[in-house]
Amino acid sequence: MANTESLDNVVLELRRGVIVLAVLSQLNDEQYGYSLLKLLSDQGLEVDQGTLYPLLRRLETQGLLESVWKLEEARPRRYYVISAEGKKLLPKLKKEWAGIVSVMNGMLA
Amino acid sequence: MKLIDRYVVEVGKNLPLLRGREDIEKELRSTLEDMFEDRVSATGRVRDEAMEIELLKEYGSPQKVAATYNPHPYLIGPRLFPFFLFVLKIVITVVVFVMLGLAGLRAVTDTPMMGMDFVNIIGGGLGNAVSAAIAAFGNVVLVFAILERVLPDKEIGGFNDEKDWDPASLTKEPDPDTVKRGEIIVEIVFTFIGLAILNLYFEIFGAYFFTEDKLFFIPIFSDVFLKFIPWINAIFLAEIVLDVYLLRNAIWTPFTRIAKVFIEAAGIVLTFLILSTPNIIGFTAESFANIPESSVDAQTLMTVFNLSFPITMIIIIIIQGVELAKAIYGLFKTTYKAK
Repeated sequence: MANTESLDNVVLELRRGVIVLAVLSQLNDEQYGYSLLKLLSDQGLEVDQGTLYPLLRRLETQGLLESVWKLEEARPRRYYVISAEGKKLLPKLKKEWAGIVSVMNGMLA
Repeated sequence: MKLIDRYVVEVGKNLPLLRGREDIEKELRSTLEDMFEDRVSATGRVRDEAMEIELLKEYGSPQKVAATYNPHPYLIGPRLFPFFLFVLKIVITVVVFVMLGLAGLRAVTDTPMMGMDFVNIIGGGLGNAVSAAIAAFGNVVLVFAILERVLPDKEIGGFNDEKDWDPASLTKEPDPDTVKRGEIIVEIVFTFIGLAILNLYFEIFGAYFFTEDKLFFIPIFSDVFLKFIPWINAIFLAEIVLDVYLLRNAIWTPFTRIAKVFIEAAGIVLTFLILSTPNIIGFTAESFANIPESSVDAQTLMTVFNLSFPITMIIIIIIQGVELAKAIYGLFKTTYKAK
């Protein structure tokens, strides 16, 4: 029981670290929250709503995302897209990620 | 109002900040509607209240959902906490010392004290110090809780600036046998004060009562206590001699460690003897018998002192016990190091 909990916590921590990169990488085209959630899920990254929505707001506050409300099918939706600043940051993050993957692959081989 | 609307309103109520609340509510409603649509198309069911309940339950309680939007889920966060502790220690220490100092000043200047006045001043002073410390704690917490929410991150960074930190500033691990001069000097000063009070001013400690034409004085301790004074003096003097020797030599040796153990053990034995000796308190029914009843609440004074005396002595024995344990541990370490 304790082992399962520990594993869950560690996995959660691992995922939390990559969510920012995953979100920024998927927002070259604008997405609203729920569509982004499904987009990530379809590619194998399950993210909790309670994590994603506050993260989107935080990234927008940091200037890495921009958002706009649009009315679709009589329903207002908030669309997010990567900002110019986010676009500058993304390649650096990708490089960092590649470095981490390479190091970890070496360690775990 | 639909269930989903009630849910969104409830989340809104629990959001920590007013700014952006409307936006969050609007986005949440939109997301929930998308989720319902998905569920309907995936299951082929008709949207009804049962489905809404099921989906909202999966989404989580309004409190939990609102909490995810809280950027500061603590009163004082880890960024400010070390600085908060630093300030709190200073403020509480200053406040307590000032309040106790004022009480002490009153006790000295309001002489001669009338019966319960002494108890009132000391008790009141302690009560005021505790109240002031609690109030100071509350105010410091309030100030830091506000700072936590209004100070930008870069401002807070200044409190925990690591750029100027130099590893060379780390002090070397102290030699356990090095004498801590500050502690020794404080001990000498307080022992001297104790000696002076015991030998020069001991007779002024008691209760003073004025009647229309007469002053009555009842000492705190009876004559039985006097036989212990030479022994207390001997222990105090031994303590001072040892402290002066330690100040001169600046290092603990097995000899001084053993001397310390003996002095602490003698202190415990003496305190225990004082505690277990009967009729040591001067506030007795007999000593109050000559004082007019209207001028003194004799029963209260007797109760207070007869109760507080053994408690004080037990506290002293506990403190002496700790000091003895420290002395024995020191002796053990010094002996072990010598081998």
